Amino acid sequence: MSIFATLWEGLLNGISNVWSLAIIVIPIIIVLEIAKDNSILDKWSHKLHPPLKHLGLSENAVFPILVAFIFGLTYGSGVIISYVKEGKLSDYEVRAVGSSMALAHALIEDTLLFWRVGIPIWILLLPRLVIAYALVWVLNRIHAGRFLPSSVLAKFTFFNRKRVNL
Amino acid sequence: MIQVKKETLYAGMLKGLLTTFDLAKIIIPVSIVVTILGKSGALEFLADFAAPLMRVFGLSGKAALALFSGYFINLYAAIGVILTLSLTLKELMIIGVMLMLSHSLFMELAISKKAGCSLFYVLLVRLIPSLLVGILGGWLF
Repeated sequence: MSIFATLWEGLLNGISNVWSLAIIVIPIIIVLEIAKDNSILDKWSHKLHPPLKHLGLSENAVFPILVAFIFGLTYGSGVIISYVKEGKLSDYEVRAVGSSMALAHALIEDTLLFWRVGIPIWILLLPRLVIAYALVWVLNRIHAGRFLPSSVLAKFTFFNRKRVNL
Repeated sequence: MIQVKKETLYAGMLKGLLTTFDLAKIIIPVSIVVTILGKSGALEFLADFAAPLMRVFGLSGKAALALFSGYFINLYAAIGVILTLSLTLKELMIIGVMLMLSHSLFMELAISKKAGCSLFYVLLVRLIPSLLVGILGGWLF
């Protein structure tokens, strides 16, 4: 088989791969634009706040988490940066929000892309949410001085207000 | 009430097409490279090399290509590999969970850093769960 035939086959594979993703990605992005236009997440973060209160998160902290869940890490981080500038988040909240969104973001797009390949949705979604929740729970406990002195968190961790930048 | 404006639809469509273009820029080269690797026998060689490591996750050596392209490039690249190779459902599920937790590391660690997390910390909290879940998946499925 000649190299050209292989290249051609690779190109065709590539095009069909792009096609199979495009028919998922384009509708998702359109729906997300509509959601953004209607500021749906403001309403959702109000509703989602009560069940997350025990993690020491205010409503201001729930919003960037939701933004990351739905729109992705870049948007979520953007909200963190602007909220930090406006002084809307405590140090603990920045740490908790940043940690949870590092693990769980772009949940719709990532999940549907891999679902398309044939993987059950719950296998893709559940571990991310559970581990993100567990991580914030642990951070909250440390913050409350339960596992380690909370100064440890500030010292080694992981977060430094000065590091936040645009 | 949810309002759907015409401009929003156009903006979404345009953004969707641009994303598809970005996706094509990665997936087409990846698909070509993987096809060449497959046809030339280089894939077998790489797979044999990676097999001992991949066995920890219950994966074949071939799957290493999907896993590493997801970790180091991004999910689109991993999907390009997955769609070009033929992997079993078991392998797909394990790779899927592992990559959901940890992907596009160079890019995303840089983004997390901008939001105030340290690189080492984010790497740790993403990679360790990913590897553990992979080991668990290999053992379970």
